[in-house]
Amino acid sequence: MPKSIKIKLCWLLLCAVLACAGFMFAAVNPKFLHFALSLRLPTLCAILISAFAIGAASLVFQTLVQNNILTPCLLGMNSLYLLLHTVLVFTAGLGSFIVTNPTLAFGADLLLMALTAVFLYSYIFKKTRYNVLYVMLIGTVLTTFFTSLQNTLVRIMDPADYDALLNTLTASFSHVNSEILIAAPIVLLLTALWLRRDLQSLDAMSLGRSVAINLGINYDQTLRRLLLGVTLYIAVATALVGPLSFMGLITTNLARALLPTFRHTALISGSVLFGVLILAAGELLTEHIFVFAVPVSVFITVFGGAYFLYLILRTSGGRHA
Amino acid sequence: MRANPPCSICSRASSRDSGEIYIDEQPLELWDQSELAKTMAILTQSSNISARISVRDLVGFGRFPYCKGRLGPEDEAMVDKALAFMQLEDLSSRFIDELSGGQRQRALIAMVLAQDTKYVLLDEPTNNLDIYHASHLMKSLRRLCDELNKTVVLVLHELNLASAYSDEICVFKNGRLLKSGTPQEIVTEDFLSSVYQVDFSVVQHHGRPLVIYS
Repeated sequence: MPKSIKIKLCWLLLCAVLACAGFMFAAVNPKFLHFALSLRLPTLCAILISAFAIGAASLVFQTLVQNNILTPCLLGMNSLYLLLHTVLVFTAGLGSFIVTNPTLAFGADLLLMALTAVFLYSYIFKKTRYNVLYVMLIGTVLTTFFTSLQNTLVRIMDPADYDALLNTLTASFSHVNSEILIAAPIVLLLTALWLRRDLQSLDAMSLGRSVAINLGINYDQTLRRLLLGVTLYIAVATALVGPLSFMGLITTNLARALLPTFRHTALISGSVLFGVLILAAGELLTEHIFVFAVPVSVFITVFGGAYFLYLILRTSGGRHA
Repeated sequence: MRANPPCSICSRASSRDSGEIYIDEQPLELWDQSELAKTMAILTQSSNISARISVRDLVGFGRFPYCKGRLGPEDEAMVDKALAFMQLEDLSSRFIDELSGGQRQRALIAMVLAQDTKYVLLDEPTNNLDIYHASHLMKSLRRLCDELNKTVVLVLHELNLASAYSDEICVFKNGRLLKSGTPQEIVTEDFLSSVYQVDFSVVQHHGRPLVIYS
């Protein structure tokens, strides 16, 4: 890795650590330090885990679809997760393990998500012959479709079931789904370990399908496996802190703007660190300046949306994005 | 449905409809992908690279089948050799998206060279190149064959380039092989007129046949 990129990454790491420290220790009364930290630690863990999951997954996803303004979220992966979770609670009901055992429920969600998404998204990619424009269009439609289905289910649900569902569906940074705080990083690490050989091929895959195949990469198989990994990462992040639209878009594009390289080790680190920085700083603002009136996801959606428009307009139709 | 062209089946970009492909007496399906990448290199036409990558790093990817991205000293030496062969030393630190079409094509060919394979397949490499670059490219490919002893297979539409630089020409029409032979055997007025349904005249130039048509 070139030295200039390492230096930039170090600066970024420093900023991210400072933001985390700021979030942990801002306006703490020394007398109640222990109490304050016990309140803030789960949120900090959630920030770190979701920044890692979203930052890494979005960057890998962009290489797979050869486009820098697409994110898994635009393909409706978030809403698919919410729909599947609702379906589980709806069909299993109040007394089942889905409600009583959050870790098992998390496992069931992930399994269902993996199966559905791999089938669905590989089919879409194959059917459209990797045409990004079509994929994006279908993704937008799917997002609306999943959300409407989920709304319908919620409406016809038993009120007691709905009450239980709401508790897990409305996860956010001030309401972290802390039951899975241990399971989430384990799932992420195991997935990364399982995919470590495919991740090495990512640099070569960013040169395009035909070049990658020429270099001896089993492209379609690697793509399917990595897509499965991306799906799991997004599912974990959504389960933990709820949907964060545009988060991946911001972190990946900031990382690409800061680090002019093709190496995924650098790009993924950059994207994850930007994620930590934005989320920690955002939470700091939310808790101390806006006093919980504006949740951090609102900032991210507003600024992310504007950034998305800027990226599309800058590249005249998104062709070279 | 149109039959998939042989070159794209060899490059594993499409699956075959019928027939078999053997490489070194072994069916294509039985090859290990990584071993195949050390035996045969393919450059297809649609290689637009959007990643921020320098020429040297791109050529370094040619070593991927050997080192999986971690370039050792021999790999670096091979990259230097490939860069020198394609006269890309001055451009080696430039980014790919800053290059002209001809320079980018040369960089891609250098990458294929760094792959150090016995066979090199190029699908219409002179597409989008002007006469100067096309002629230079063909000369370098000829040197690949003469100096480095590689088997170079090209898909070409320009008859005169094919006639001037190749040892053997195979003529395909509608997915079938019509005829193969030396340029002198293939580039004749009667045969070409029957293939293309256009009137041709053939003249001799430096011992090679040249076609004229309108």
